[in-house]
Amino acid sequence: MTAGAPTPEAQLQETQLQETQLQETQWPRWEIFKQDTAARPLQAVGSVHAGDPEHALLTARNVFVRRPAAVSLWAVREDDLLTATPEALATHPELLATPGEAGRYQVGIKATAKRSMTFVDLVGAVEASGPGDALGQARALHPDALAWQVFAEAAAVKSDASPETVESWFAPARDKTYKQQQFYGVIGRHVSAFKQSGKPAQAEETP
Amino acid sequence: MTATLSETLNAADLSPAQRRGLIARFQALADDEIVLAQRDGEWTGHAPILEEDIALANIAQDELGHASLYLELRRELDGSDPDRLAFFRDAGEYRCARLVELPRGDWALTMLRQFLYDAAEALWLDAAQASRYAPLAGVAAKALREEKFHLQHSALWAERLGRGTPESARRAQTALDTLWPHAAQLFALLPDEADLVAAGLLPDPDAVRDRWEALVGGHLRDRCDLDVPPLPGAGEGREVHTAHLAPLLTEMQAVARAHPGAGTW
Repeated sequence: MTAGAPTPEAQLQETQLQETQLQETQWPRWEIFKQDTAARPLQAVGSVHAGDPEHALLTARNVFVRRPAAVSLWAVREDDLLTATPEALATHPELLATPGEAGRYQVGIKATAKRSMTFVDLVGAVEASGPGDALGQARALHPDALAWQVFAEAAAVKSDASPETVESWFAPARDKTYKQQQFYGVIGRHVSAFKQSGKPAQAEETP
Repeated sequence: MTATLSETLNAADLSPAQRRGLIARFQALADDEIVLAQRDGEWTGHAPILEEDIALANIAQDELGHASLYLELRRELDGSDPDRLAFFRDAGEYRCARLVELPRGDWALTMLRQFLYDAAEALWLDAAQASRYAPLAGVAAKALREEKFHLQHSALWAERLGRGTPESARRAQTALDTLWPHAAQLFALLPDEADLVAAGLLPDPDAVRDRWEALVGGHLRDRCDLDVPPLPGAGEGREVHTAHLAPLLTEMQAVARAHPGAGTW
């Protein structure tokens, strides 16, 4: 090794530094909550990466509301969410002391482990001294939940509720439906037709 | 014609000249949508971030949906088959504007073009809602909803690029300088269209262009910090194309032309 060449430790540090810088070029992640009808709760449907709140909402509309329809969308920056399972709280009770702004907090719960498009439903709001307090209240209100998620109401960016925006953002999806596979034509004949006639499937393949 | 300017008309009420004029306008609108959708679709799998890849594919599909609406309006007038029109006409028969033919360029060019186009389409559709030709008024109301959202998306990107980094601002200005000379063609009257405008069947393109100039000029100057030169003239008609259209159509039409008798897709 020549004098001045980086040591393995220095190289490792350099690599870690580069990885950190690489991560910082990523846009922040936003959790997206979608309300399908006025009678249903807002539900977490997934996340998007976006540069700012308005971009997050527009992106969410494209990714999650092409179909079926919705009436409202919220986006919450990953850093503004506090999420915990009962197991996590058992090993990390300090989560209940997570500091932050006092105010109105939205409470979401994961109520079932059944596989679904959505994982967290927003079930109400509480007044709390901070995220940790809100999490504690969420646990007290919904002791059987599989997970709790809280965020300050002020941290949510919400789609415009004006009729014009609702019409432009959400109405077009009402006319779009999922097409089942059998909607599309088949080139040649389906294999079941050959099974019925008792002939091998490859014998009479029509172009 | 005995109809007054306040009565709505359907296909059976049109004179032969009105029928020809509407067919020409519907085809021009559809061709703009088809070619722009193809250009936007070229980004599928290549957009700067997954979410925008999905967004642009969505928008391209919406524009193709609008093309279908316009081609159905045409079918109602002359029975022509939309798929034949889309896949079996050569560049010389297409009537798209040169703006949508230009190669997709970088993300700034694609977003700035989309912004200029979305604003033009949204304002044209807004005016077309008042058309006396009832089928067009109905289509305009339906397509306008989507176009308003497209416009929000592309306006947001123009702003983020114009006010982003020095590099993004440079690219946005370069894109605008490339696109701007082609923009006015979107608002040029087609031959024989003036009578249809006078009869209240189609929007007045001069009025649409004035609203468009105010909307895009204001946004690009005040929200994007871009230099917006005066709008040049529309140039030659829609029968004149750039060299970029023919290769685009060759790619877009390849499968349909290789299997012209395919009954199902």
